[in-house]
Amino acid sequence: MSVPDTCIHCKLQIPPADLVIDQIDGKELHFCCRGCQGVYRIISGAGLNSFYQRRDWPEAGIPPGAFESRFDEAQLSGHVMTLDPTSAEISLVIEGIRCASCVWLLEKLLAREPGIDSVRVNYGTHRAQLRFNPQETSPASIFAYISRLGYLPHPFTSGAAQQAAAREQRSLLIRFGTAAFLSMQLMGFSLALYGGYFHGIDPGIRQMIQYFAAAVTTPVIFYSGWPFLAGAWRSLKNRAPSMDLLISLGVLTAYGYSISALLTGGEVYFDTAAMIVTLILLGRLFEGSARTRAISGIDKLLQLAPDSATRLNGEELEIVASASLVPGDTILVRPGERIPVDGRISDGITELDESTISGEAMPVMRRQGDSAAAGTLNLTASIKLIVERVAAESFIARIARMVEDAQNRKAPIQSLADRVATLFVPLVTLVAAGTWVFWLSREVPHAEALLNAVSVLIVACPCALGLATPTAVLVASGSAAARGILFRGGDILEMAGRVNLVAFDKTGTLTLGRPTVAEVLPAPGQSVAGILALAGQLESGSSHPLARGIMARAKAEGVPPRTTGSVVTIPGRGLQMTSADADVLIGSRTFLEENGVELPTLDSGAMTEVHVSRNGSWQGALLVQDPLRDEALEAVTKLQQMGLGTVLLTGDRAETAGQVGTSLAISDYLADLSPADKAAWIRARQRAGGTIMMVGDGINDAPALSIADVGCAMAGGTDIALETSDLVLTRPALGRLYEAVFIARLTLQTIRQNLFWAFSYNLVTIPLAASGQLAPVWAAVAMACSSVLVVSNSLHLGRRVRHAFSVASRPENN
Amino acid sequence: MQKSIIILILLSLCIGTGAWLFFIWTVKRGDFDDIEGPKYRMLDDEEDDQNAPGDHREP
Repeated sequence: MSVPDTCIHCKLQIPPADLVIDQIDGKELHFCCRGCQGVYRIISGAGLNSFYQRRDWPEAGIPPGAFESRFDEAQLSGHVMTLDPTSAEISLVIEGIRCASCVWLLEKLLAREPGIDSVRVNYGTHRAQLRFNPQETSPASIFAYISRLGYLPHPFTSGAAQQAAAREQRSLLIRFGTAAFLSMQLMGFSLALYGGYFHGIDPGIRQMIQYFAAAVTTPVIFYSGWPFLAGAWRSLKNRAPSMDLLISLGVLTAYGYSISALLTGGEVYFDTAAMIVTLILLGRLFEGSARTRAISGIDKLLQLAPDSATRLNGEELEIVASASLVPGDTILVRPGERIPVDGRISDGITELDESTISGEAMPVMRRQGDSAAAGTLNLTASIKLIVERVAAESFIARIARMVEDAQNRKAPIQSLADRVATLFVPLVTLVAAGTWVFWLSREVPHAEALLNAVSVLIVACPCALGLATPTAVLVASGSAAARGILFRGGDILEMAGRVNLVAFDKTGTLTLGRPTVAEVLPAPGQSVAGILALAGQLESGSSHPLARGIMARAKAEGVPPRTTGSVVTIPGRGLQMTSADADVLIGSRTFLEENGVELPTLDSGAMTEVHVSRNGSWQGALLVQDPLRDEALEAVTKLQQMGLGTVLLTGDRAETAGQVGTSLAISDYLADLSPADKAAWIRARQRAGGTIMMVGDGINDAPALSIADVGCAMAGGTDIALETSDLVLTRPALGRLYEAVFIARLTLQTIRQNLFWAFSYNLVTIPLAASGQLAPVWAAVAMACSSVLVVSNSLHLGRRVRHAFSVASRPENN
Repeated sequence: MQKSIIILILLSLCIGTGAWLFFIWTVKRGDFDDIEGPKYRMLDDEEDDQNAPGDHREP
């Protein structure tokens, strides 16, 4: 099971000098450090060896043993909810959960800890609910245990807004469940009534069944349908007719007419009213769950910066709130703690995990004089930091503010159906009023004039109109999800269908975000393998992204890594190895030139040069670049063929942007952009009338993603990018982007067709009803026909999507 | 005839209400809050008690 040169626990390559060999259960196992050995023993000792078979993360996890943060009992006790003397509850967010096996491991191990009664980890939100006995254990020791397992726990008290959203979602579910249950009962009654209409029924029984029908429909309208009624009232107050108003109007007229028919002995249409409410609630339910997740994005961002910091007052340590730090203060950040505010390192060398900022998974070396951004994670050593900005001005707070700002600024998307409602509602009301006045002037009895006006409202009942959008959206999001494309709601689907410009981020989106060796240039007399062997010797102990690229190439060429002598890292420059017979340098051009090595001029274009020298003479160079994704060119070309504009927005150098732009045929590119620049550029294009989709993956893309009409992130991007985006591709494949736009366009087309069918029904029936020519039962038949037409047209959309992609992808699969 | 219809209707309403109350109870219990996790938990075939023999199964 174990590959000789990788650690059995963390799967990282073992630098030969660090090899730890242990005998467990009679087997010889290799570890990269004592930390991994310890964790392996904990897991194996608990009888959970199968963890190693079921974990499936693509990269090695959070560096093991990285966390030494101390958990402050006093601070944690504020988050504990005491139920009785022997039981208490605490909610926490656990950082570092990557897959289902992490959840499994945490639940199993925590449940075995003495004093912990129950634990439930939510796979979707990474939140855990823990019930424990405060007399046997304490929150601090539970937190310490979780962090020993390699995860980072934060106490979590959800904000009022989030709690409200969760309650809202639950109440929606109950409303829908109630509506569905009562509608099913109603269906039986309606069947009997329809049968009775055509074949005759005893009037006594008919009236009894009608009363039962009224009894089950009333709660559907006034309890389940309450969100629509409230929405309609709001839209009346704001004088902005909306879909809610249209639905309420239809539901209430059908219900009101049926009640009066019940009392006077006519036909009832309770089923119509109940069905509209049930189906539309189902649609809302699907959209609601997606929205709730989008809201939590900002909170998550701010949680990255800790609330408290350790301030140095001379020799004394004091724990203070991060918000009270002022520029010039000195703070201490221990390994495993996140940096609370932006600052400059005044003492110490450490590695920082900056993945929250840059999306780059590998730690970065930082030393005295370097700046450190709030929210990054200190991994290896304690550092002292001089505060440069107050907490509210830190990098992470500024990004959070930009995202929030962008989300507020973004006008809610007015869906096609809402715009239709704006016209339709006043029109129908006008026609109904006109009918009433007309029949009054013809001097017919008052009751008959009123009945004709009401029947206009009933046949105008926007049954098909109400179903036009939700059914199309339901089918489209279902078939999109099956292809790994997640739309956050129907409005996003419509918007994606209208996009006319796609803006791409470069690193990690169009490129893989992983440097690889493109070319090896040996000096005359040297071999490629020789250079790689030499480079491999030095780089095998380094965790720099460039080193990983070089090691991957060395391994691919079959050059074994071996280390002789001691390697010294010169941060930001390169590596130096001194042994008995040689002094080897590897690193940037400047680094080697500073050490007196003469280098030839190379035509490296946009690639990064890594030079190797031995005893002062140049041995060769490696050209490293971040390669494009395989499918990038095809995806961009397909989008351009659909008539979409493409543009590249990057924080990288103009040279690199130009090269990527040329190889992908993207003629527009903007380089050296800050996160704010990207957002500003998109806003400017929106003002000029563009509908823009932004595709990105990092925190630096978050403001642009939220301001764009459609923000798109791919799996593998940072959490923040995923949460601030409207469209998520669950597989890191750009080809899906084309499919997403295709499906969205098809959906928009289907919605338009549905609206057309729904309208043609109204166009025929309203004049008939106004002239008093339409018997209510025929109105009901026509209404059912138009509903069936609309629903089957939406179902057809699913078949069209399947057909389009099964034909398109068949040649690739074979 | 009419009496038996009423009894049957009321009976079906009672059974339905039972299912409805059960549904409300599960929602309030939070069974629908995490809809991603159960599909993985289902695949977890090990016993929950502490010294289950399955825990020491070597693959």
